[in-house]
Amino acid sequence: MKSRLNLKSFNYDKFIREYAMLLIFIVIVIFFGLMNPKFLSWMNISNIIVQNSYILVVAVGISFVMMSGSLDLSVGQQISVIGVLTAVMMTVYEMPVWLAMAIGILAGIAMGFFNGGVAVRLKIEPLVVTIATSIVFKGVSNIISGGMSYNNFPASFRYITTGKILGLPVDVWIAIVSVLIASIIYNFTYFGRYIKAMGGNIEATRLAGVNVNALRIATFCISGFFVAIASFIYISKLATMNSSYGPGIEMTAMTAAILGGISFNSGEGKMWGLVVGVFTLAIIENGMQLAEWNQYIQYVVKGLILILAIGFDIHQRSQRAKKLS
Amino acid sequence: MSEKVLSLKNIKKEYPGVVALKDVSLDIYAGEVHALLGENGAGKSTLIKIIAGAIQPSAGSIVFSDGVVHQSMTPQKAKEYGVEVIYQEFNLVGCLSVAENICFGEKHGKFVNRRYMKKVAREAFDLFGVDIDPSAAVYELPASKQQIVEISKAIFRNVKILIMDEPSAALSVAEVEKMFQVIRKLKERGVAIIYITHRMDELFEISDKVTVMRDGEYITTVQTKETNRQELVNYMVGRELKETFPVRPQPSDEVVLKVKDLSGNGFRDISFELRKGEILGVAGLVGAGRTEMARAIYGADKKHAGRVYVNGRLANTSSPAKSIRNGIGMIPEDRKQHGCLLTRSILTNISLSSLKQISKLGFINKKKERELAQAYKDELMIKAPNLEQLVGNLSGGNQQKVVIAKTLAANCNVIIFDEPTRGIDVGAKQEIYKLMAKIVSEGNAILMITSEMEELIGMSDRILVLHEGKSQGILEKHEFSQSRILEMASGISIEKQGA
Repeated sequence: MKSRLNLKSFNYDKFIREYAMLLIFIVIVIFFGLMNPKFLSWMNISNIIVQNSYILVVAVGISFVMMSGSLDLSVGQQISVIGVLTAVMMTVYEMPVWLAMAIGILAGIAMGFFNGGVAVRLKIEPLVVTIATSIVFKGVSNIISGGMSYNNFPASFRYITTGKILGLPVDVWIAIVSVLIASIIYNFTYFGRYIKAMGGNIEATRLAGVNVNALRIATFCISGFFVAIASFIYISKLATMNSSYGPGIEMTAMTAAILGGISFNSGEGKMWGLVVGVFTLAIIENGMQLAEWNQYIQYVVKGLILILAIGFDIHQRSQRAKKLS
Repeated sequence: MSEKVLSLKNIKKEYPGVVALKDVSLDIYAGEVHALLGENGAGKSTLIKIIAGAIQPSAGSIVFSDGVVHQSMTPQKAKEYGVEVIYQEFNLVGCLSVAENICFGEKHGKFVNRRYMKKVAREAFDLFGVDIDPSAAVYELPASKQQIVEISKAIFRNVKILIMDEPSAALSVAEVEKMFQVIRKLKERGVAIIYITHRMDELFEISDKVTVMRDGEYITTVQTKETNRQELVNYMVGRELKETFPVRPQPSDEVVLKVKDLSGNGFRDISFELRKGEILGVAGLVGAGRTEMARAIYGADKKHAGRVYVNGRLANTSSPAKSIRNGIGMIPEDRKQHGCLLTRSILTNISLSSLKQISKLGFINKKKERELAQAYKDELMIKAPNLEQLVGNLSGGNQQKVVIAKTLAANCNVIIFDEPTRGIDVGAKQEIYKLMAKIVSEGNAILMITSEMEELIGMSDRILVLHEGKSQGILEKHEFSQSRILEMASGISIEKQGA
């Protein structure tokens, strides 16, 4: 019965809307594969996956803020703060790795709480708050680091990116688990349902009896948590950390999320889309590197991709709004 | 006599399924204040929008002083004929200066000529004998002065027909007096003024003629001097009640909701009791504070003072979440923006307010959710092939049922309906009425705000009448009459007592 109905209501528009990104992804893979045979080598593919595990984790975190109808531009600076904090704890204060990481996670949640709390309390658009707090976090990061670089991390910390479980690097496992946890929250919990409802129509959600202020703060805290996890992968991979590392990642993660159909304006999106988005962007980047394009041209391309992704998202929504009204 | 500046002939305006104006003819003369009177939804706003060219009539003609017959207007053409409209919400740019606002959109030379603009502003203010600094920013001015800036803007554009839509709504008594002086000056200059209001006392003070409209129909035009309040009220309400309403048993005496001395933005000192099984209607004209009151009770907006008791106990209803916990639900006026999530399924919408109850450890029991939604879809007869249907694709009536289902699913036993049948077609209206009757017959209670007189009288057990944010009293069923309600809503009874 159900499948028959679905078959009947199959429409081309909807299919394109849902799977457009997947199609583009496949086209891009074929394109770069033909351009450069090295591209489809197992080496290169596993490289792409490993290099982007932390981006995926950041994107998962940022998706919570986006699904609730906002953006967090301070994520890059949050990584900078968490990175140097954890590094200093491990190397200067020689704390156990678990304690340094616990402090890093707390710092991530605290920064999220600050972002969300200020937005709710002072009734400022959250996006604007995060522009301001990214300056604050930049200062905090430099205060902690004292302008120094830190390295010689304990081996147990480096295990995050050097170790393997069942043949897969630990950080890839972390990314997979992050995506799974987020999927479960969005699809099976009332909390996830609330977040998506809020992103769709915050006033209607509030009037339906949902505490949207608490939810706003919670989404930023969750984002902070995942950003902290991503920071560990990031600095473990770099094997060194200073305050200048981090900024810029927020744009990559956000572009990937938008490419993957996570809308910051309608509470819609799926986690598999997010994964496709992250790797589409990663492949484009990788393809450009293999083609030995100038780094600055790569920036231009990435910026244009962001514009296209947002434009596509807005176009789709306005189309749908037209249909519904 | 004076020159005829505008003549509307047999104007008709139809929307799909609704006739907003049927066969309205009207003559407007220079130097005259012509009042338009009518209840909410009488068609006054539609008529002025047609004159201003904002919407096009379905039939009829518009003739200005040059005798050319127009089938429709455009905003530009209307402006060329000297039509200017001052809406309730002023059309000013707050951060620009008074002078800049007056000359907005007009070019004088290639560059911004501040001295010229100030001169224009001063001339206008001298005319009215008011003192406003032309370089002050508009947002710094009180409402009355902003209105004078609006009028000055119209004069600068060489206004011939000035339409004022509820111009006194935002003004204090003293300010209204000042505005009347300005209007009298405009009359002397030969400007025709169409004055829309529901305030009777103003109308007798300022207008020369009154045209009464009702349900989109032209009723009559009378000379203000030759009429009185009672006659006008009779013209406004002379409507037969056609709809049938479900018959319900008497409500019990058990009070389920008690509101005591409630004040908030737009209303103050409101007290009433709502009983089990009762529908308490709330009547009032635009700006009476009905929706504001409802939203404050529900916690959607702040209360300034007052208390809400549920089943005899003081209840915290400072947010919608807390109100729902106390069993108070609300069906908002703006269904599409506030009532439902248009881009989500029926399932998601119905369960939204009750998700926590059907969840364990944060996980939604999807089977229960589906059963709950299906049960309400069946009970309320929501017409859709399945629960996955997007609410935005449903008709107005079915959307409203989804919002009601959401509130019922959250176990609310006091439900505030704000305009329960707005934008819903006739057949579906009956279904909503039956549904409301069923809800109260099951031991719940309804507070119903409505601008539709038939609905108000047909559905209510008692009626609370508000006028400019204050309670005018509660009418018992045997006291219901259109003219009585309208008199109270217009504040007439109060004035009589005061005199």
